[in-house]
Amino acid sequence: MLTHVNPSSGVPLYLQIESQFKYAIASGGLKLGDALPSVRKLAAELRINPNTVARAYQDLEREGIIRTVPGGGTYVADSTPGLLKSEKLRRLRPSTLQLAVEGIQLRLEPEEIITLLKEELSKLVGE
Amino acid sequence: MSDLAIATRQLTKTYSRTEVVNNIDLRVEKGSVYGLVGRNGAGKTTLLKMLLGLVRPTAGSLNVLGMDYLHERLAILRRTAYVSESKALFDTMTGEDLVRFNRSYFSTWSDDAVRKYVKSLQVPMNRVFRNMSSGDKTKLCAVLALAQGADLIILDEPFQGLDPAARDELHRILIEDYIGGNCTILTSSHQLNELEQIADWIGIIDAGHLLLEGRLDDIKGNFRRIVASGTDLSHFRNQEVVGATPFEGLWQFVVRKDADEVAQQLRSNGAVVLEILSMSLQEIFLACIRKEELCTSPSAGETPASVSSRS
Repeated sequence: MLTHVNPSSGVPLYLQIESQFKYAIASGGLKLGDALPSVRKLAAELRINPNTVARAYQDLEREGIIRTVPGGGTYVADSTPGLLKSEKLRRLRPSTLQLAVEGIQLRLEPEEIITLLKEELSKLVGE
Repeated sequence: MSDLAIATRQLTKTYSRTEVVNNIDLRVEKGSVYGLVGRNGAGKTTLLKMLLGLVRPTAGSLNVLGMDYLHERLAILRRTAYVSESKALFDTMTGEDLVRFNRSYFSTWSDDAVRKYVKSLQVPMNRVFRNMSSGDKTKLCAVLALAQGADLIILDEPFQGLDPAARDELHRILIEDYIGGNCTILTSSHQLNELEQIADWIGIIDAGHLLLEGRLDDIKGNFRRIVASGTDLSHFRNQEVVGATPFEGLWQFVVRKDADEVAQQLRSNGAVVLEILSMSLQEIFLACIRKEELCTSPSAGETPASVSSRS
């Protein structure tokens, strides 16, 4: 679950929250149908502005990762149906590009970058 | 009428020919938390006092909660709570006395809020104000301001003198009961890491000028530190560069936006771009006040406020 954000990081807090939820879902810490804490509860827990949490939830909902039932809370949604494979790949392209750029800047070989990515994948989803 | 809790236009205060507040256009959205940041003597307290009618502007106009301060000052004060920088109240009154005294002025006063916050912040209400520690004075000022039920809360260094547990508790109270609703909070603070937790908007003020105003997320999303090497870059110019410093054979450029484009331009000048780093509010603040002449120079009708996308 979400336990920590770093307000002094250069990364905006709403992005930190979004990526932590994505990580929790990808690694199985949060499963389909699991309830998320309310905006105000999570804000109080993390000691951050509720508007910031609300913005993160809105983004995640727009991406289909969570869904909000009016008056009934927020849940982890099944984000895969309806999305074409090409759309999924399109979404992933920017972060892949960033990985590639940083790898090249560090003078790593393509194989080394791919090995690294495979290691992280197997940590998340297992072999 | 507007979605702004506070709007000033060219607000100016001059003391014996020194412009303490200089042509400030401050815009605070309703329901937001606005953090005002600046060095000692930058003009923060004078600006806040003008909003409350405690200091008379030399020039400019200001509108608070949709009201004009000249004609509707009492109506503004009834709906505005204030914790002053000096944290001064009547010295010979106890906390209980001060609650009774303040309660009578506000129809929106909440005794429940007093009870709740006195307990969670552990304020010694039977002690006379003069004999309280500076932290307890700050706590009591905060309790009295919060219990008022105001639409606008103006806080001048609200965490001054508070121990870490009390700071955390005051944060929790603000988040659970005040932020994210209809209440607007304008606060000055030197605790930038704490402002980063609760502020939606940031204004950086220096020598009476508002150097930068924007949504914190946008500011953090746009400001970058670019580290480059490989060639002499002392003549490199770009309108988004806020500061350039040579550093052990490397060059560091702080840009207020468009970091990727600036990096590309550096490369075409023969430089190797080593890193593009995001920045904390503290780093952004220091970069702005050290290079205010660059940060304020408007280019093609753009001001530093254009880092924000006001909707």
